[in-house]
Amino acid sequence: MEEGDIQQGPAEGSPSQNGSPPVMPRAKAEVDRDFEKLYRDHLRDVYSYSYYRIGNHHDAEDLTEQTFLQAYRHFERAQRESDGRPLRPWLIRIAHNLAANYHRDKARRPTAALENVEPPQHPHGTERVVEGRERMRAVMAGLEHLSDDRREALIMRFSLGMSNREIARALGRTDGATKVLIHRSIKQLEEELEAAGAADE
Amino acid sequence: MSDPAPRPLDLEALLADALRPIEPPERVSGRVETTLAKLTEAAASELSWWADELSETELQSLRDPRNWVRPIAAAAIGGAAGTALVLIEVRRRRRSEGLRGIAGELRARF
Repeated sequence: MEEGDIQQGPAEGSPSQNGSPPVMPRAKAEVDRDFEKLYRDHLRDVYSYSYYRIGNHHDAEDLTEQTFLQAYRHFERAQRESDGRPLRPWLIRIAHNLAANYHRDKARRPTAALENVEPPQHPHGTERVVEGRERMRAVMAGLEHLSDDRREALIMRFSLGMSNREIARALGRTDGATKVLIHRSIKQLEEELEAAGAADE
Repeated sequence: MSDPAPRPLDLEALLADALRPIEPPERVSGRVETTLAKLTEAAASELSWWADELSETELQSLRDPRNWVRPIAAAAIGGAAGTALVLIEVRRRRRSEGLRGIAGELRARF
């Protein structure tokens, strides 16, 4: 089985392992194929989102698994109701709800563990690299000061590259409200970093 | 030599750098695939159990519209019988009310 493959029953027209006729109806096999594509396309998105929301790899793995399980259970209905729109916001919304449950259960704030993230490959000198790392640390610290919805919006925008419309659908907001949310999040972060920079000086 | 002027803060670039997508470890895809495979197998075996319960000939006869005549006729006959019973009951009540009326009139005369 290739990496990323989702094992499924025999396709229509092909005999099953015991030689008896296939029992999975074609529609079901098609649904599974579509789900497999969704899974392949967005595993990284779900994992990245989970990691930045939870702050550790172990729980991010659990959250990713739970997200795809829930998505699988409701996939047919989501497909029917999507009217051909992309399903990524729906998938991220599942992860968002599960992350909210996680934080409610554990009653702890998410911590984005920057030290676990691979440092960026800088083509510049050591001085720039050090400076870049410090700035990144400052950005992560600033993110932790944002409210949950602001931090989530920034994760969706900058980690997953989602459009305003996609973020709006994932958060259950209007496009306009989402645009304002992102603008205010960036502004607040900018102020946090400026304040932190001024304090350092 | 004077210090170089501080570079303007490109926050969006910094955010994109700080929040880079993270490749999931291979074990994650392994876990998800195993669980999904179990789910799919469970669904398939459930389906095959259901299909085994009804033989192919039974399924064919269920799909054949010629076999729908009997249930439709039974429903129609049942409906007609029910209506007839209601009508008989209504008539019986009217008749008994009519007899009670005549008896009342006779009592009044004598």
